[in-house]
Order: sequence, then C-alpha cells, then structure tokens
Amino acid sequence: MLFPLGFAVFTSLFDYTLVHPNHDTFVGFDKYVEAWNADYLPDALWTTVKFVVASVVIEFVIGFSVALALNRVTRFKNVYYIILLAPLLMNPVVVAQLWRMILHSELGIMNYVLGMIGIGKINFLGDPVAAFWTVVLVDIWHQVSFMAILLLAGLAALPREPYEAARMDGASAVQTFVHITLPLMRPVIAVALLLRLIFAIKTFDIVFIMTKGGPGTATDLISYFIYRSAFFGLDVGRASAMSVALLLIVLALTIYLYRYMKSLA
Amino acid sequence: MAQITLKNLGKMFPPDVVAVADVNLTIGDGEFFVLLGPSGCGKSTTLRMIAGLEEATSGDILVDGRRVNDDDPADRDLAIVFQNYALYPHMTVAENLAFGLKLRKVAPTEITSRTAATSRMLGIEPLLKRKPRELSGGQQQRVALGRALVRQPKAFLFDEPLSNLDAKLRATMRTELIKLHQSLGATIVHVTHDQVEAMTMGQRICIMKDGHVVQVGPPMEVYRNPADTFVAGFLASPPMNLLDARVVDHAGGLAVALGEARLAVPGAFNGAYGAWRDRDVVFGIRPEDMHDGAGPGGRTPLDVRVVAVEALGPEVVLVAALADGREIHARLGPGFVAPIGSQQRLHLDLGAMHLFDRETRKAIAQRGTG
Repeated sequence: MLFPLGFAVFTSLFDYTLVHPNHDTFVGFDKYVEAWNADYLPDALWTTVKFVVASVVIEFVIGFSVALALNRVTRFKNVYYIILLAPLLMNPVVVAQLWRMILHSELGIMNYVLGMIGIGKINFLGDPVAAFWTVVLVDIWHQVSFMAILLLAGLAALPREPYEAARMDGASAVQTFVHITLPLMRPVIAVALLLRLIFAIKTFDIVFIMTKGGPGTATDLISYFIYRSAFFGLDVGRASAMSVALLLIVLALTIYLYRYMKSLA
Repeated sequence: MAQITLKNLGKMFPPDVVAVADVNLTIGDGEFFVLLGPSGCGKSTTLRMIAGLEEATSGDILVDGRRVNDDDPADRDLAIVFQNYALYPHMTVAENLAFGLKLRKVAPTEITSRTAATSRMLGIEPLLKRKPRELSGGQQQRVALGRALVRQPKAFLFDEPLSNLDAKLRATMRTELIKLHQSLGATIVHVTHDQVEAMTMGQRICIMKDGHVVQVGPPMEVYRNPADTFVAGFLASPPMNLLDARVVDHAGGLAVALGEARLAVPGAFNGAYGAWRDRDVVFGIRPEDMHDGAGPGGRTPLDVRVVAVEALGPEVVLVAALADGREIHARLGPGFVAPIGSQQRLHLDLGAMHLFDRETRKAIAQRGTG
C-alpha cells in the first residue's frame, strides 16, 4: 500500500511524463502549481461538487425514507434486506455496463419502454445535462442501499422509551420525527453522510465506463480528470500532484470523521 | 384528579399469549393504588393499557366514567413515569420538563412558572441546564417524576420507577412519593414487584399472577388474610411458612397433623375447619407468629432442629427443620442464639394460623358456618 502512495508523492515532485518516464528533473512543488492552474480543473472541481452534493443529498433523502419505512416492517424483513443489498454487492464496473446498455439511446431498453408509453427518446449519455443526471442517478441506484442500511441500523438501535414518553406528551408523528428521531439519529446521520461524501468524491468507475467524462466535460469528475491528465495528457507528475492533493482532502475528511466518532464514544 | 375503572380488561399477544385476563378494578379518586406481582404477571401490561401504550384486546378502560380505549395516550391526560425514566437524552432537564407543555401549546410564561414550581418542589433547580447523561440515577428519577408532575395530569402511572435505584435511595424515594401523594392528593397507580414498596406505599394493593388479579385490598388486610398460598408466599420476607398438612381429630377438637406433630386448632376455628376433618390442607403460619418462649400462655410448642441462625440486627431469622426435614423460618428476638444442629422448642401462636385447600390453594375461611 505504501509503495504506490510513496511513488505518487515522489513522482509529483518531478517532471515525469509518459514521453520522458523518469525522475531526472526535480521540480519541487511546480507540478502542484501547474495542476492548480490546469485548464478545465475548475470545471472538473465544479462538476465534482455538483455530483457529490446531488448524489449524497438524494441518497440521504431516499435512504432515510426507506430506512424509516423498513424500520416499521415486521414481516419479510429479510426479503427486503436482500433486495436492498443486491446493488451494493455488484461491482461498479458491472453496474455501469448494465446501465450503459439499458440507457443506450438507440438499443437500450429504457428508450424502448419510454417509446411505448409515448415519451420520446432521451439521449441519456449524449446530452450534457442528461448525462450528468444519468451518472448521478446510476450512482444513487448503486449506493443508496449503503445509506439506507447504515441509517436503518441507527434507527433499529434507538431506544424505545423516549418514543413512548413522546406519545404520552402528545407528540404527533411529524413532531416525534423532528424532536426525537432526528436529534437522536444525528451521530449516525453525520457518519453516513461523511462516509458517502468521501466515497462520492472518489467516484471513477461509472464515469469511466459510461461517459468518459463527456459529453464535453459534463461528467468530468476529479478522479477521471486526474486519470485523463496521466494517460491522455501524459503528464504523470501533474496527475500525481493532483492525486496527492485529492488524497489530502479525503484524509482531512476522514480525520474529521474519526474525531467526530471518537467524540461520541 | 380521576377515578380509573377497568372492566374485564384483557390483553393477548399473538399468537396465543395471554398477558392480562379479565381484570376488574376500580381505582378511587386520589387513591395510591399498587399493582404487585412477580415478573410476567401482567402488571406492567395493565398499566400500559391504562396509559394507552398497549391496546386492550378486550374490556373497557374508563377514566372518570368515560371510556378511553380508543383515545390516543395524550388525550387520556395521564402521565407515566417509566422504569428507566425515558428522558429525552438530547434535551436539557428544563427542556425535558417543558416538552410536553410546549406540544400542548401552553403559554410560554405558564411553562416557565410551572417548570420552576415543579423543579423547586423536587429539588432539581440546580440541574435544569444539564443533560440526562450528566445526572445520577436518583436525579434522573426526579426529572422523570417532574416531567409527569409538570403536566398536572388527571392521574399518575408509575411503572416500577424505583427499581433501578440502590436500596438506600429507594427507601428515600418511597417516603418522598408518599409525601408527594399526600400533598397532591393525586390518583396514582404504581406498578412494582417489590412487596415492601407495595406494603409501605399503597392504600390498596392488587396482587396479580399469570395475568389474573388474585387479591385486592388494603396492605395489612391482604397481609393478614391472604386469599391463597401464592399471596401468602409472596408478601413479606421471609414469607409465610406453608406446609402440607392434614386436619385430624385431637383431644375432642381438631388439630393440624404435621408429620408426627399435632398442633391443636384454637377452639374458635373448630366450626369453620370442621368440614376439613381428615382432608389434606396447606398449613400456613408467618415467621413472626413463632416464638422462642412460651409467653403468657396459649402458644403451642413445636420441636425443631436448628439449620441456620441469621442475625439481622433488630431480629434473628431462625431456619429450622421439622422432624421430617421440612424447613421453616421463624422471626425471633435479637437475643436468640442456638448452636446449629441443636434441638429447640418453638412456640406457635396458632390464633394467627391459616389453612389453604391443598387442591385449589385457596384460603379456607377461619370463621364460618361450617
């Protein structure tokens, strides 16, 4: 684990390109400055921010709703769990391939079904706006179970007594949710959001398989942008610099998450 | 304050577990009423049905004559104090007290004054800004009580609120609850498995077993005249000695045959117990009705072998064996000493004896037409 990490940090300090793949030219932090000023970096960052916010927020809303519903279910709980876990068990590459076929503008079953009910064809992966939301929705399809299961575990572990006390105090369902469930779930919600945030920032596979960052830069998430810098821009040094910077951001979030969880213990 | 009436109340948990069966009770306005029984006897379920937290599967619950079975818990205007307090962990003590009032849209000034008055009464004013996790068990208990008091409900329902406290604090809180009841004149239904709590606090106690009411009455009445061997064996520690015996003719009257020993039944009971001549019964006598001295007279001697002597300070509990090996407990004065294994003569005050039907386990009336 340490070798690739060390190699990336080391490489980020050299003018290492695929044209001249060697560590001859030490450039210090020049590659970091270069990376910061790279064309389209603001685009990639902005796309990543939009993607992370959209997917995590929607996953949270759907995941929490599903968790609340499942928490009340008493029969066939295991069946629901299996259904819920199925997407999570699938490899992201498989998920992306699957959806790429389903959403293919000409051959995909989705447009066929839409056509049958009188809705025109949608160019899911060819239109910039549609492509962005397609990537977001596929990520949600794949990851929402994670959110739901984490929140469901939190809900199941909540003490029953405050709810009974609230019933005696005359709290409605909405008041109970706002005044009891949400505050009691705060630590679990924070952990679930942070974990998904960290994973979402690193999203690569879906974009790589489905859109290659396109059309244009519509789905050019930071991970894919770094990949392009290395293997299309051939500038491994700059890509390494960006990777290290991304790693530091994720590391900072992880430390924050760890400290937060420790403060709860 | 309110009167609570239970009519044929029943609760069945699927598929076929009967938790409470056919309970009929009337809890008077301002009464301190105790539901007593071992774990799983249905006392807490009965209380939760009154509160509205469990739905009754049969029967009626009436508060001041109005049927409340279908009312939401909040609409019944009753307050419950839970065994583990059930405080809102994320709210301060003040917020815990005020939450119910806020939901009921009580004016903020009224909330402030009621919260202040309640916290003053319970001595929890210095704790108002703390969270429940920063409180001791006793303090949490007070806050839970305060949350019930501040609402000024029609009646209070206590679900074993003292069971999580240590012995000393429990004794203190017992006294405080009695005082509180006296000052408020509130209707209180108190659930407990602790017979000391029931005896000391309740104006009337209701003993439950397997979902059924076994006996209801003032504590001393239930203590003196237990309805069956279960009640006799449940109240007090050590409980009543219960020994299989037989009623036999003896010297022109009746006697209880305990193995070889014959205990002459007091003449006053002869009429009632006459019908039980030559039948199997359970003989019951409380440990305090056995003495180590003959006393002023009228006591019946019984020879026993000392098994253990438990000196408790103000009294000594003697564990002794009859000739056939059956053990009994006697509560004797603090001065009693005897070597283990020695023979001793106990003197029984048979005016306080009880007989129970061996089959039905029900008490046999001491004075009747029989």
